[in-house]
Amino acid sequence: MSTDQTLRIGIISLAHGHAFSYLNALAAMPGVEVIACDPDVPADQPGRGEAAVVETGARWAASTEALLEQRPDGVIVCSENTRHRRDAEAALAAGAHVLCEKPLATSVADAAALVEAADSAGRRLMVAHPVRYSSAFEALSQAVARGDVGDLLAVTGTNNGRLPGHGSWFTDPELSGGGAVTDHTVHVADLLDALLDGDPPVSVLARANSVLHAEEGVETAGLVQVTYASGVMATIDCSWSRPDDYPTWGGLTLEVVGTSGLAAMDAFTQRVDGHLSGRGRAWIPYGTNADAAMVAEFLDVVRTGRAPRPDGRAGLRGVAIVQAAYASIRTGERVEVTIPT
Amino acid sequence: MTTPPVVALIGAGGIARPHLDGWRALGAHVRIHSHAGAERLAGDDPMAEAVPTLAAALEGADVVDVCTPTDTHPAVVRAALAAGADVLCEKPLARTAAEAQELVTEAAHAGRKLMPGHVVRWFPAYETLHARVAAGDLGDLAVLRFTRTGARPLQPWFQDAERSGGIVLDQMIHDIDQARWLAGEVVEVSAQHSRPGEVATAHLLLTHASGAVSHVAGTWGPPGTTFRTTVEVAGTGGLLQHDSTEHPEVRLDARDAAASTGLLPPIVGVSPYHREIEDFLTWVRGGDQPRLGAADGVEAIRIGEAALQALATGDPVALSTPDPTTANEVPA
Repeated sequence: MSTDQTLRIGIISLAHGHAFSYLNALAAMPGVEVIACDPDVPADQPGRGEAAVVETGARWAASTEALLEQRPDGVIVCSENTRHRRDAEAALAAGAHVLCEKPLATSVADAAALVEAADSAGRRLMVAHPVRYSSAFEALSQAVARGDVGDLLAVTGTNNGRLPGHGSWFTDPELSGGGAVTDHTVHVADLLDALLDGDPPVSVLARANSVLHAEEGVETAGLVQVTYASGVMATIDCSWSRPDDYPTWGGLTLEVVGTSGLAAMDAFTQRVDGHLSGRGRAWIPYGTNADAAMVAEFLDVVRTGRAPRPDGRAGLRGVAIVQAAYASIRTGERVEVTIPT
Repeated sequence: MTTPPVVALIGAGGIARPHLDGWRALGAHVRIHSHAGAERLAGDDPMAEAVPTLAAALEGADVVDVCTPTDTHPAVVRAALAAGADVLCEKPLARTAAEAQELVTEAAHAGRKLMPGHVVRWFPAYETLHARVAAGDLGDLAVLRFTRTGARPLQPWFQDAERSGGIVLDQMIHDIDQARWLAGEVVEVSAQHSRPGEVATAHLLLTHASGAVSHVAGTWGPPGTTFRTTVEVAGTGGLLQHDSTEHPEVRLDARDAAASTGLLPPIVGVSPYHREIEDFLTWVRGGDQPRLGAADGVEAIRIGEAALQALATGDPVALSTPDPTTANEVPA
């Protein structure tokens, strides 16, 4: 640890916009020193690089190597999806605990390699699924744990959003690993992983299309059916089905059916609705900042060395669902999920 | 046709009440026949009478309205056709698509009209949504989601898959029909369901010929479950959604918990059953064909049967495109 009181946290890459949410959350937390770098980006790209970092109060590092030489206690990886393994492995090798933006990786092999790398290094690996830290999910989890719905039978989950940037890396498979199935399946899968306490997925059937934003060249709508070892079934709608001028980025919902009750959750229902003259539909969110709660969890993991939620193995299970979903879309078949142990 | 029309309502279970109300609102004379409950349903309405036999109900009836358990539909429909009546039959038309197709063919040969009661097409939110989709407001459809949740029906035949087809053919067939109405023919079905128990729930994944995909979720929940339906349709032109519990015209609170809405949605304003029956009666009287034909009922069952096969095997089931020459071949 850098000093007795101060934690040194590094951020590798600003490719994912969540980096700024994490930087803002860190800036508000006492006893944290933040260093950021932004490799793989032209120096003059707006909103990226040194200028963007300085505005957040973080120190700038010219490269990943320069950042890691400063021995950060923890590193948050916000690079493009296919670069997560490279950056997270480098951070773990440098002795840092790692919070990796979701998805943990774009293949089971890469995700398993990261889990293995964390184990070998004796460092913690956490995946950025902030909805676990929303007040909505905490309330739902408590209701399920209390037995309010009995034993879980089925869940319909939705994580629908706008297209995340026309022509951005999110729709370049070389960097993203895929479209909506890659981007939005894992958030719901992670909540299911939490509700089912790590019950492994055993089979997946998925279908996708590119009707929306057909010009982007990746799948933009998808439905993913997952069967778990316990027999619980789920369907995840991962579509980028919110129009470009939708009043917010998107949302996340769960509909849970149990043996003795039902529950429904909307993670982004905390808002004031209405209509503002000349500005149209009002959609004004309030409530807990799940990103900040998740970053606080990571800092506690870094301070204490305890196991994070979700850990790398939960992230691996999510990646395994995504990989099986693509196999199912490609072959048309229901696909067994294989998770390396 | 007799004036007022004489209707034989066969069956006096839960769905018979809104049907009777619809016929009575249209001024019909209704004969009710059922193995139980006909007198109670008729009550003291002078234009509704319980009759002891099917033959007595059918004798001289203009229209037969079939509200019996699913597996008995073919026999009642055939008796109605033999008696020279036009037939409104609760969904599903029959337990299998093959039987349903036989009924369609027999009705055509008899020169009688036959309509399956897919009443959701008359629920105002759904017909409004369909009208906007048909007008092109949503452009090309990409992904649709349907959920339908209510308390588990208590009559034992609903739980007997041989008789009812279970939740897929009894309840989810409403949204199968909606998916097809909104997004067109279905070419593949995948399905999964919960382990057997008091609560039944299933998820279908339909692929349409257009490439659009639909998620259909049905739940028969514990006693006291609020009846709720949701629908969301997303396309290149935007997004439309509706939740039956979200915009109530009247809210009641602190009432008897036993006053759960159970299996049927609360009706405010003109009943969709009334409007369905009115459209059927208009057709019977020589007017326009309603918004669905008998072939739509056959196709919904065909998709439902594919779902049952997918549930049994775990594998997706491909469907051939229906033959358009058999579509709605009831003579006008």
